[in-house]
Amino acid sequence: MKVSYQWLSDYVNLADVSPQALADKLTSAGLAVDAVEPRNKGVSGVVVGEIVSAEQHPNADRLRVCMVDAGTGEQLQIVCGAPNARAGLRVPVALPGATLPGGVQIRRTKLRGVESNGMLCSAAEIGLETRLLPSGQTTGLFVLPTETPIGEDIVKVLCLDDVVLDIDLTPNRSDCFSIRGLVHEVAAILRCTHSFPESVEAPTGTGEAPIAIDLATELCPRYETQVLDGIQQVASPLWMQMRLVAMGIRTIDLVVDVTNYVMLEWGQPLHAFDADSIAQSRIVVRQARDGEALVTLDGQQRMLTRDMIVISDPEKAIGLAGVMGGENSEITSSTRRIAIESARFDGSSVRRTGQRLGLRSEAQQRFEKGIDPAAVTPALARATALLVELAGATPIGPAVAVQQKESATGLRQVPFVPERCREALGFAISNDEIENIFHALGFAVRSQDTPWLVEVPSRRPDVTLTADLYEEIARLHGYDNIPSTTTVLPVTPGMRDRRQAMLARARVLLVDMGLYEVRTYALTSPDALAPLAASYQPIPLLLPMSDERRVLRTHLLPSLTEVAVHNLAHQVPGGAIFEIGKSYLTTNLPLREQPREREVIAMLWFGESEGTLYEKTRRYDFYDAKGVLDRLLAVFGTDVSYVRSSMPWLHPGRSADIVADGETIGVIGELHPDTAAQFGVARAVYAELDVALLLATYQGEIQAKGLPKFPGSRRDIAIVVDRATLVGDLLTTARHSLEASGLLQGIGVFDVYAGEGVPDGKKSVAISMFFQDAERTLTDDEIEQLVKTATEALRVDHDARLRS
Amino acid sequence: MDMEALIVQLGRLQETALSELREISATRDLAHWRVQYLGKKSELNALSKQMGSLGQEERPLFGERVNEVRKALEEAYAQRQTALAAAEQALRLAQETIDITLPGRAVCKGAIHPISRVIQEIEDIFLGMGFSIVDGPEVETDHYNFELLNLPKDHPARDMQDTFYLSDELLLRTHTSPMQVRTMERMEGHIPIKVIVPGRVYRRDEDDATHSHQFTQIEGLVVGEGIRMSDLKGTLEAFAKALFGPEQRVRLRPSYFPFTEPSAEVDLLCVHCHGEGCRVCKGTGWIEILGAGMVHPRVLDMSGYDSNRYSGFAFGMGPERIAMLRYGISDIRLLYQNDLRFLAQFARA
Repeated sequence: MKVSYQWLSDYVNLADVSPQALADKLTSAGLAVDAVEPRNKGVSGVVVGEIVSAEQHPNADRLRVCMVDAGTGEQLQIVCGAPNARAGLRVPVALPGATLPGGVQIRRTKLRGVESNGMLCSAAEIGLETRLLPSGQTTGLFVLPTETPIGEDIVKVLCLDDVVLDIDLTPNRSDCFSIRGLVHEVAAILRCTHSFPESVEAPTGTGEAPIAIDLATELCPRYETQVLDGIQQVASPLWMQMRLVAMGIRTIDLVVDVTNYVMLEWGQPLHAFDADSIAQSRIVVRQARDGEALVTLDGQQRMLTRDMIVISDPEKAIGLAGVMGGENSEITSSTRRIAIESARFDGSSVRRTGQRLGLRSEAQQRFEKGIDPAAVTPALARATALLVELAGATPIGPAVAVQQKESATGLRQVPFVPERCREALGFAISNDEIENIFHALGFAVRSQDTPWLVEVPSRRPDVTLTADLYEEIARLHGYDNIPSTTTVLPVTPGMRDRRQAMLARARVLLVDMGLYEVRTYALTSPDALAPLAASYQPIPLLLPMSDERRVLRTHLLPSLTEVAVHNLAHQVPGGAIFEIGKSYLTTNLPLREQPREREVIAMLWFGESEGTLYEKTRRYDFYDAKGVLDRLLAVFGTDVSYVRSSMPWLHPGRSADIVADGETIGVIGELHPDTAAQFGVARAVYAELDVALLLATYQGEIQAKGLPKFPGSRRDIAIVVDRATLVGDLLTTARHSLEASGLLQGIGVFDVYAGEGVPDGKKSVAISMFFQDAERTLTDDEIEQLVKTATEALRVDHDARLRS
Repeated sequence: MDMEALIVQLGRLQETALSELREISATRDLAHWRVQYLGKKSELNALSKQMGSLGQEERPLFGERVNEVRKALEEAYAQRQTALAAAEQALRLAQETIDITLPGRAVCKGAIHPISRVIQEIEDIFLGMGFSIVDGPEVETDHYNFELLNLPKDHPARDMQDTFYLSDELLLRTHTSPMQVRTMERMEGHIPIKVIVPGRVYRRDEDDATHSHQFTQIEGLVVGEGIRMSDLKGTLEAFAKALFGPEQRVRLRPSYFPFTEPSAEVDLLCVHCHGEGCRVCKGTGWIEILGAGMVHPRVLDMSGYDSNRYSGFAFGMGPERIAMLRYGISDIRLLYQNDLRFLAQFARA
């Protein structure tokens, strides 16, 4: 909220506290001041002047030559281009030597051959926010009231010597949404006195109240109105306009300005109706009927629902409570009688109404956060007094006030034990100091028995619990005075659980194997997921912000290809990336319960490897991915087999399910060329491991064996098999055939060859086996026998011939 | 032949042999010399066989002389061989010289994402203080994300966090704070609770240089008996010193969060100017890095911890902000664009 420093200083002595010092103190007390902005944007040497005459410039159609009395003792000839320049206007005059915002210097000069001794100014030229001014003041010369003294410094006249503090109010401090509330707070922080000299007694009119009120909903605890007659639609006084503008409120006309002014002063939103538009002189505050419509002040037809509060008469709705008035009760130039409303409305209802209709007014924000019940009556009185004084209005009858029976309650008393406060905050503070703070806040200590009873004024609805009082003590004593201490708690071991430790290890391992970790968005588009033709429907957002981010991903592949596409388009020829992330899976849409969040380690190799001196650049392939997976799985201690995958989005001949203990824990494969094309990557290899399933394969703690005492022997064989035969199957056969012996300690492939010397349609596979017995050295004969067993099994199962 | 003549012949032989040996410049030519002068068919051997023609008394003298010559030749041979081998090796090594400035062979690039780096470092600091790490669901219920955190429906403070809803009751969590409640419920009244919760969170913000609709948070929660606000300050101060260096200080400012009371914004000395005031800290010397406070009594009570007996503190911070400050990153979108040229800068340990 923007706050005028001068307005505050009407009620509290700020002589020794500069705006910046005040800002610092407010910030340390919890009202964060984001900016301290002088109203004067660089104006000096500008005074009030009256245009005595305005003649056509001899050499320019659009210029006027004005004679101006600026109180300098002689009339100044000033050339002016503003269309509204005419004799009799009082306007800001920048005298020679004056400075305007933006560092503009005003000098004596000649314009088209005519001498000009200064400049007549528009609102923008003296740094006023034109968007906050009435439409008549936004272009042309800024016209001052005729009674403005000639020669007076414009800085004084327009209160440009004021400074505005922009406070980032936290939602709990509804009390600081007004000047009076802030005065209480400032006085408490500065520990000084304050006074509000204005009377809160309104002049009451004679006779009966001309209006009746029905409270037909509990969502309005109190409603008051005052009818005034003889409203003169004159401009608001300059000081009022300037205060509104300083606090960021648009000045419109006197009635609206007064309601806004009082809202800023008291925090109580007011609304003015044309009293003659209220049928049967009866205001009915009720909930809207479903399907009821109202054209609001902005000319828009609004469809209402039952949970909205409307102000109506017996025939029709005339306003949306706390949000916006109705067009049918708007005050116009012909309005004579007005009804000022001062009321409390349920914050939640006002909030919902505003959200539903896309409106967010100053009034609405105040109702949402809660207004002071004690302000309703005096705010109405203050508005009445101002309208009587400034608009020449006459009150008709007394103000009418109606309230819900049960809504009258006493002030809240909160129990408080000083000793416990000291314990909770961890610092020493005397009972006297605590009492001083409560006193400064305007909180009354009603009982000094244990516990104390602290009575909280109605303007502080945020203080309801003992802990709230602790915060008041802490912030006014100063958070800086809180010492740093250590918790007194039993010792706890801090360690990662198995999943966390494994993921941390996997991250380091993958990075060391040359993969870059990425972090991508969980929100994506259905189109991005479409190429996967997945079995899960993605969960949509109710109100997405964009088409690209409107569903939760069901798979990580699109996220990773998005990264690949970005990089390929930015001079990165390829790379290997991974993400430890989640997909969100449900079979039950629309969503009724939390979906399954499937955590995976997802990896993608795209484009070409970076060429080196030793290895030419080449496209990443299946085996790049498999090498990384093998290493990763070895670290997890997981034995897996690779089984041809049937994922439609993967290359059918170059993909595999990763199976451990009969369960598929992941997948690896080159993207199907069609899928790759849909994702916009030429070729890429994807692999993923399901973290939960991977962890389930955990083999328990390492059980170490001693070292063998007897040497082992290695034997290599080369066999010729059909080219389609899987090496993995060959190894399995060999392994199984030697299982009974218990002597095969290792087996692996070290060469695969097809071409010259090998028949067409065949390939040669070189297999190495390592045999060892724990008890003795194996003889050559024994080893030969073992090799024969394996070779025979390979012949039987795979038609394998030893290569000669 | 008389001995005199034989000895002269021996002398000449020695001279010739040694002279030839000096001429040899490659080890492979040495063998030929050795055969010629020290082999079975060598002149020396032939001469020594002449011994039979000498008289009894002359034989030992002549034998001695032959041996002297043989020994001299053998020694010279050995010396020459050593010298030549050394020279040849030196030559070979010189020829084998490589360009030691060429790149090494095992070129493997990769990097941990800067956000993960920061998270891991923060985790390690709190692990060292005896905290454990917990993870929670990203799709949360309104109940846990808001209501149990003292944010009933239509509470104006809900404006502080614009929310992505999936249904009336389900949403993308706007903070990691629901894990305060879930952790307390899981602990079923046992103390102490000392956890941190790193995780992804979501808010309905337009992505720009300082906002991201998805970002990460690390929540902290401590619950026990007699936990004071000063303990919160002490813990965060220890954390700040561990993360940013021993000269760090923390400043608490009163603030508001519905689920803590009292609440605080926590500032650290500006990591750029160390409190002098600069562009990064907008001249204040401080940067806001955390939100914190004492767990609200209503939150404790709703989570099964009697607020009359137990107290606690909670805090939350944004790894993105810390990463941006620490690494001088000015646009949060760089962290989610995953341009490898950007990420490669984080390959360093």
